[in-house]
Amino acid sequence: MTARLRRLSLALAALLADRGAAISLAFLVVVTLLAAGAGWLPMDAMRQDILKALEPPSAAHWFGTDELGRDILARVILGARTSLQTAAGAVAIAAVVGIPMGLVAGYFGGWRDTVLMRFVDVLLALPGILFAMAIIAVLGRSQMAALIAVGITGVPNFARITRAQVLSLRSRDFVTAVEAFGASSGYAMARTILPNAWSPIMVQAIVLASLAILLEAALAFLGIGVPPPTPSWGEMLRTGKNYLHEAPHYAVLPGIALTLTILSFDTLGRAMSRVLEDRHGQAMPAGDRQEEGR
Amino acid sequence: MRLRLFDWLRPLALALAAVAVVTVATAPRATAQEGTLRVAVLNDMTNFDPMQFSTVNFFLIKNLYDSLIEYTEDGTPEPSLATSWEIAADNTAVTLTLRDDVTFATGARFTAADVAATWAKANDPTAGKNVYPTMGIVADWVVEGDHRITLRFKNPVPDRQILDLLQFSMPIEAAGIATVETQPAGTGAFRLKERLVGQRIVLEANPDYWREGEPAVATVEFTIFSDDASAAAALESGAVDMTYMGQSRTAVRLGNSGFQVVTGPGKLAQVFRINSTRGPFRNASFRQAFNHLMNREGILRVGYAGLGAVSALPWAPASPAADPSFNDEFAYDLDKARALLAASGLSAAEMADWKLLVNGSDEAAIAISQVVQASLAEVGVAIELDIRQGAEFIDALLGGDFAAVFGGVGNVQKFPSRLSTNSIYRTANNPVLGEPHPHPRYVEAIARVNSTIGSPEEVQAAYDNLNRVLVEEAFGVATNSYETGIIVAAPNVSGFVPDMDNLLVARRLRAN
Repeated sequence: MTARLRRLSLALAALLADRGAAISLAFLVVVTLLAAGAGWLPMDAMRQDILKALEPPSAAHWFGTDELGRDILARVILGARTSLQTAAGAVAIAAVVGIPMGLVAGYFGGWRDTVLMRFVDVLLALPGILFAMAIIAVLGRSQMAALIAVGITGVPNFARITRAQVLSLRSRDFVTAVEAFGASSGYAMARTILPNAWSPIMVQAIVLASLAILLEAALAFLGIGVPPPTPSWGEMLRTGKNYLHEAPHYAVLPGIALTLTILSFDTLGRAMSRVLEDRHGQAMPAGDRQEEGR
Repeated sequence: MRLRLFDWLRPLALALAAVAVVTVATAPRATAQEGTLRVAVLNDMTNFDPMQFSTVNFFLIKNLYDSLIEYTEDGTPEPSLATSWEIAADNTAVTLTLRDDVTFATGARFTAADVAATWAKANDPTAGKNVYPTMGIVADWVVEGDHRITLRFKNPVPDRQILDLLQFSMPIEAAGIATVETQPAGTGAFRLKERLVGQRIVLEANPDYWREGEPAVATVEFTIFSDDASAAAALESGAVDMTYMGQSRTAVRLGNSGFQVVTGPGKLAQVFRINSTRGPFRNASFRQAFNHLMNREGILRVGYAGLGAVSALPWAPASPAADPSFNDEFAYDLDKARALLAASGLSAAEMADWKLLVNGSDEAAIAISQVVQASLAEVGVAIELDIRQGAEFIDALLGGDFAAVFGGVGNVQKFPSRLSTNSIYRTANNPVLGEPHPHPRYVEAIARVNSTIGSPEEVQAAYDNLNRVLVEEAFGVATNSYETGIIVAAPNVSGFVPDMDNLLVARRLRAN
């Protein structure tokens, strides 16, 4: 076993020692497996049976049926796929754009740092949901548009976390040594600094995933998320609220799924932060917790 | 001594009695107005012009204005401001006799000159607004006295079309026409007392109203709610006496809870509007397949909680052209749809090369669009929904920037050619289909309806021809009629007056 794998397994063991983190991780694994295998489930999330619309939970439909007689459980599971895909895509976009920005700003400093960080400040000044709505207005309503919109709103967090890490590592001896051997700035950033800055970035990825799911649901709730008939938890909440009198399960059950998923990501993120802090003394910068909630 | 006392009391009593009789005889007409009727509405009004009425001011117009004639719920004409109407033997003119005891809210007397001024406004392409297209048949009018006026037509016009025009005419005081958008100028049972933009509108009884014993209440207070659920909650809590223009589903729920649900003859027809100038919709067989792709029962149930009626034609049940036999002939049948799709000769890719425009603010439209999307998927045509919000949707709808879209059409309970007041059904200057009209058979069928003055059989034949053309040309595929202007009232509210257009008529309403 290599030293890296050993460190990883030790970190995982420490993480699983936290009961909340273990439960959250288990829940997320189950949700992910269900979302991935949604196509093989016996229930069809798209099949309409209007004569059975808004039926309460039963043996045939564990979560009941929606206004078009579709199985809500099947749609919650398929909705998980929408949420997780959006979260993964958004995190990827935010990381791909934000991490290089933070690297360049922190490594070079000077005017590059000023320009990039003022750009980040501008992004941070815009309310995330409004910014996402503006992007969707330009790109049109689709899952890809929602994914891009949510991803762009996550760029500043990655940029600032990475920059903070680079600033703390930039003057360390191992970086100076690499530079002294004639390494290029690209090599120093990508091969020397970044591998040592991953821990808080990973925590940020987990936290942003929960924010992305929440933002995607909010956009869908406002009617500008993934277009129907593709299920989405936010869309189900939006439609289900119209039937709260006749079929309260319609809105409540997707709402519970959404809440538990976000709670799991958040719990996992906090636990990871604690584990990393204990092991490396690397805590997330205090201010970033507040920024996540914007 | 006692006798003397009676001697002088007797003339005094007689004098007092005489004064009382004279006072009663000369006093304004007796009214029993008391109390306030509290009504929840979901939109603020836009203006007070009865020629610009739209659903947002349906609750005001028939309370501030009267029509020349009215229809009963089954479509029978009855006097209103006009006590009688005589249609010329050749159907080229109608002479009206007007009431002589009517005053406007300002106190001015109502005369034929006001009717003439109203028609002049209606006949103005700019000022006529909604009524202008209806005036296309009118040549001129002649005032024949204070309370008599004759309307002359360019060509012979069917009786029902003449009556529709009279029912659509709501006289405005001649002196108030210039300011009618901001200041009501009608003869209605109420007059404007207060308006707080976006919050409430209060009407007070017109003390000189001409209908005996009306209005029943002293004031009507309209409170504007931001959404249907809030209005329903206000009704359930007793904060209002009734709601107007709420959603069908809410009405059904409240009806099951003991509230009164009142619907009128003025339905809307839900129509799958097809832009036959685009993509696969140029193909007639492809369009005709949609007659059988519409799961009308499902659409009525999902979109309107079953409140309404399925209809393969764009008519309300009260329309003289309504023909339920078409519902069977063009019922939901995927096999027939598949056969017509195959007959179209289009490839699968061509058939799926379009998106269904959907009003994102209309939950019913989102639901019924998914019903059609699922039916299409079953016959192998996978399409996407193009959901747009607010002004973006309206622009696309009215400007014809769509391949297909669901949309309600009005005037479907009146003379059949009134259908052509709706954008997709216009025979000229059609904003969706353009010029020249791509469906000349439809234009001819409307013209035939407009010009058939003969026997009932001949008139019916013209209606039948129009119906057949509508389903064969299939640029508008009707699915159902549905309610607009639904009243949901507390059990103690009485005095509902049905209106042919489902406008709110409050003059007899009271909360006991």
